[in-house]
Amino acid sequence: MGSKVKLFFPFSLVMLIGLILPVIVMVIAGFQGMDGGFTLSNYTTIFGQNYYRMAIFNSLWISLIAGIIGLVISILGAWAITRLAERTQNILIILFNLAASFAGIPLAFSLIIVFGNAGIAKALAHTLHIGFLGNFSIYSLQGLILAYTFFEVPLGILFLYAPMKEIKKEWFEAALVLGANRSFFIKTIILPILLPNIIETFIILFANAMGTYETMYALTGNNFISIPIVIGSLIDGSLNANVPLACALATIFAAVMAILVLAGNRIINRKRK
Amino acid sequence: MKAHSVDKWLPRLIIILIAIFLLGPIVATFIYSISTVWVKTILPSGLTFKWYGVLTADPDFIPSTLRSLILAVAVVLVTMLAFLPVIFYANVYNPNLKEKLRYLSILPYSIPGIVLVTGLVQLYGSIPVPKLLILILTISAICLPAFYQSLNNAFMGDDFRGMFEQAQLLGDSKLGAFIRVVLPNIRAGLMVGLLLTFATAFTEYVITNIFLTGQYETLKIYMYRLMNTNGNAASVLTIIFFIFLGIIAFILIKIVSSQKRSTKE
Repeated sequence: MGSKVKLFFPFSLVMLIGLILPVIVMVIAGFQGMDGGFTLSNYTTIFGQNYYRMAIFNSLWISLIAGIIGLVISILGAWAITRLAERTQNILIILFNLAASFAGIPLAFSLIIVFGNAGIAKALAHTLHIGFLGNFSIYSLQGLILAYTFFEVPLGILFLYAPMKEIKKEWFEAALVLGANRSFFIKTIILPILLPNIIETFIILFANAMGTYETMYALTGNNFISIPIVIGSLIDGSLNANVPLACALATIFAAVMAILVLAGNRIINRKRK
Repeated sequence: MKAHSVDKWLPRLIIILIAIFLLGPIVATFIYSISTVWVKTILPSGLTFKWYGVLTADPDFIPSTLRSLILAVAVVLVTMLAFLPVIFYANVYNPNLKEKLRYLSILPYSIPGIVLVTGLVQLYGSIPVPKLLILILTISAICLPAFYQSLNNAFMGDDFRGMFEQAQLLGDSKLGAFIRVVLPNIRAGLMVGLLLTFATAFTEYVITNIFLTGQYETLKIYMYRLMNTNGNAASVLTIIFFIFLGIIAFILIKIVSSQKRSTKE
């Protein structure tokens, strides 16, 4: 018995202090006012005021678009990798690992160098008279979506590469011998096998985009209204700080994401069986 | 015949396009870091390495690197001491617990940094507690899912329970048996887990910045400040940061691929 306590005590201590207690307190604080009394006003504020509704809408919208773009490109990318020589595949996986971890401030800064107001893209657009490039702003919604694809694509590829590799070339050859054509093969054999992985990857890309703070903050400061940015501005100790309100918003976020990811797991497990 | 040639060039084209897309900004940042001036022109005005000197001579550069390093090493230690024994126990003795630990994988997506830091500010914001210590514990907790997943595969295959118990029969203490018999056999998975943990802690930004209100200036926080004050020096730092991530990614792949080779043999 004593050794079990010794085993679990440090683990539980770290998880309680570092994660569980803060999350529990966060959920409770969402139902408290600035004075500490019970109230639902944080929630009525979030769902009642346009500003917070817009933050939720913007977050959902940007994550949906970035998720879809990321998914489509990473399906192509993961497929393409499996068609290359084994050695090249290994090198590419290093590259995509690297690209996926290059998110946040360094990514934002690199993009500002290229697409910022004094950047090379603006100079090119000006010299070559490319209107859409000249008008493109990395600090806008489109700019943020572009920025997100820099980590969503490699992340998606890393998730899809292993299942894509499972698909054997011989299956396709066998199907050809049996008289199937390419599109029939993809539709009836490949898609059903990969669908759970594709759903799973999309949910991860969506959730990952929803929770992205660093890249957005580094690009737009507190100017773009989204759930992470609004939470950040409510807790950064500035004049309009309102931690209980931030707690309510964070609770909504965590609950919705947990349900989404768990539901996704459910669907996938059922399909796999 | 036509389908065959498409099979050859299409994958290459896709990969080349994706690689150009992903690497483009990094290449541009590198050129920016060795440019004298590069503002509103297609090509830089001239080339120089002076910004590398400017950054390394900056009195804040080394301290912020050290702060990130201290944070990362502390998190790695906590992970080793607090998590590793429990993951071993769950894998070898308690499949029920293992089933529960599986749910950890949803953690990073349902509770990202910006959500967790809200709870931290609410709970610890106004009471006198060692906030740096709490930050270390919090980042350790965040690293648990990836650490757990890297170790899971390591525990498959060998009969760890048998090895562990036989070593104890032969007179080893529990700790001794663990260090002498178990650790060498999970070396590769452990290394992967620790490297991922190290990289996560070293590059953490949002929790460190908001919870410690910018008081503990890590490399990322320094990078953000530099980005708004000296763009050229910031580009040098970005390149150094990229090389650092590259080295970690490279080691990871080396470990994983040598592991694959040895299991094939």
